[in-house]
Amino acid sequence: MALLRVTAALLLVCAARLGAQAARASEAQVKAVFLFNFAQFVDWPPEAVPDSQAPLIIGILGGDPFGDFLDATVRGEHRGARPFVVHRYQRVEDITRCDILFISRSAGDRPEEILPRLKNRPILTVSDADGFAERGGMIRFVTDRSRIRLQINPEAAEAAHLTISSKLLRVAEVITPTGR
Amino acid sequence: MSLRDWPIKQKLTAMLVVISGLVLLLTSAGFAGYQYWSLRQATRDALSVRGRIIAANSTASLAFSNDADARELLSALRADQHIVAAVLYDKDGHVFAAYPGDVAGHAVPAAPGPDGYRFEGGLLIGFQPVQEAGSQRLGTLYLASDLEAVYDTFRLSGVIGLAVLAVALLAAYLLSRVLQGTISQPILALAETAKAVSTRQDYSVRASKLGEDELGALTDAFNQMLGRIEDQNRALRESQEELKRYATDLERRVEERTHELQERNESLRRNAAELLAANTELDAFAYSVSHDLRAPLRSIDGFSQILLEDYAARLDEAGRESLHRVRAASQRMGTLIDDLLKLARVTRAEIRTEVVDLSGMARDIAAELRRATPERQVEFAIAPGLKARGDARLLRVALDNLLRNSWKYTAKQPGPRVEFGSVEANGGQAFMVRDNGAGFDMKYADKLFGVFQRLHSAAEFEGTGVGLATVRRIINRHGGRIWAEGAVDQGATFYFTL
Repeated sequence: MALLRVTAALLLVCAARLGAQAARASEAQVKAVFLFNFAQFVDWPPEAVPDSQAPLIIGILGGDPFGDFLDATVRGEHRGARPFVVHRYQRVEDITRCDILFISRSAGDRPEEILPRLKNRPILTVSDADGFAERGGMIRFVTDRSRIRLQINPEAAEAAHLTISSKLLRVAEVITPTGR
Repeated sequence: MSLRDWPIKQKLTAMLVVISGLVLLLTSAGFAGYQYWSLRQATRDALSVRGRIIAANSTASLAFSNDADARELLSALRADQHIVAAVLYDKDGHVFAAYPGDVAGHAVPAAPGPDGYRFEGGLLIGFQPVQEAGSQRLGTLYLASDLEAVYDTFRLSGVIGLAVLAVALLAAYLLSRVLQGTISQPILALAETAKAVSTRQDYSVRASKLGEDELGALTDAFNQMLGRIEDQNRALRESQEELKRYATDLERRVEERTHELQERNESLRRNAAELLAANTELDAFAYSVSHDLRAPLRSIDGFSQILLEDYAARLDEAGRESLHRVRAASQRMGTLIDDLLKLARVTRAEIRTEVVDLSGMARDIAAELRRATPERQVEFAIAPGLKARGDARLLRVALDNLLRNSWKYTAKQPGPRVEFGSVEANGGQAFMVRDNGAGFDMKYADKLFGVFQRLHSAAEFEGTGVGLATVRRIINRHGGRIWAEGAVDQGATFYFTL
């Protein structure tokens, strides 16, 4: 009897874990699409684009939470004549040229350490770490009852000479750390 | 009243109004068609512009799955009351956001259709792709608008058009009423004149001329015609009067002549009746006298014979001679009385008409004559096949008298010859008896047929003078005519018709 109860409990736990995994997979998929979509609503300064056919690089710093989703999403896609490319970095120093950078939780626990090192470089920084936008990050994914919301810090983007479309701003929560 | 019986004024007015109305209607129809088409185009263009704007604004909502934002965006369409539905589909074709909140009232396509704007089921619908410039497609916007805007505008312009049409038609009507006069006035004047001419027979009236156009020429021609008719009429009337005068004169003369003739006729009738009465009386008298004379005559003859037979011995030669003369005279008188009775019978007898073979009759008479006097050699030439209609008995008497006459008057001729035939006379057939006997002097020709009229003495040729009178009576009773030609010692020819 006790065994049965244990088995049932175990089964329940397993089911819960499986459901969470599915939810995570869907969340990662949505975030991957969002990352890809950012390229359409952000303009980079001319010096950030070496030539019209240079690849548009989406970088992941730290552990990759997307699995194959991001690669599948950008495969064969272009922005104008520029193809999308996904790069994975372990350390900030590895980042040479990058357009959109997702800072994984594994790396993003210390944004204060990472962000200053990217300061003034035309890289759109994205993370789902708590208070990322308030602490100088540009876009943060906020999970709100299974929906993904955006927090954007336009000042940070401005400082990096990135122009974020007003359309994007309209669907996001604007964060102004300086209280301006 | 059929159209062709309308007065010319109404016809002209109606024509002008119909033409201008038709032109206006066609113009209005063309304009309305163009307006309808261009209104639809404009509505479609407006909806497509609106669709493009909304699509451009909804890219981020679709890209970042912000359906609240999308709904808010779509709800701005509330300002346009003609938009009945709007839907945003994500790139997989699922409904992402819809306007109004409850779109179930409207049939909204479950999945986007082909891109573009079109009219469907009384609505203008459009599928507008949603994508950020030069990038991959994010979804589709569906818009549906009713066409009330088009219809409202169309209705308004329809009302205006009708008002314009009414005013224009009224103007055309009023104008045509004024203008038609230039054509109808001279025609009406002509018609009025023609009517006056035909009802009053008054050719002295003239149509008044109102212009130098074709109608003016027509009026001139009409007036000229009237003038000519008037002249001819006058001439006709004059000749008619003359004719009437002649006719009256003629009538009067005919009447006079008729009256005269009537009078003459009347007197003739009276004469004829008198004559007839006298004749009948005379006939009756002759008959009774003849009849009554026979008895004493027989006595005279009878007693004279007794005297001669029984007392001849007591009489001398002169006495016997006298008695012979008495007998001869009384016998002649008997013959005379017989002839007279025959003549009277001829006059009284009733005529029974039939076809009579005259040639056969003549042959019979000739044979009879030869039998009675076989010592005489007379040549008879009788034409065959002569026939006539008449009373056989009377015609026999007539022919007998004529042939016997010829037989008698050829007695002193060396080669006596008697002929019976027919000749053509006055366009008809006449029968003829000809001999080569003693003949007669033509100056006595009219006396031949009188009773007791004789041209020869009884010593020369015996006879009573009644035969030819009897013949004439018979021929006359048949409605025919008899006449004779001849010369002394040259023979005689008697002609008669029936």
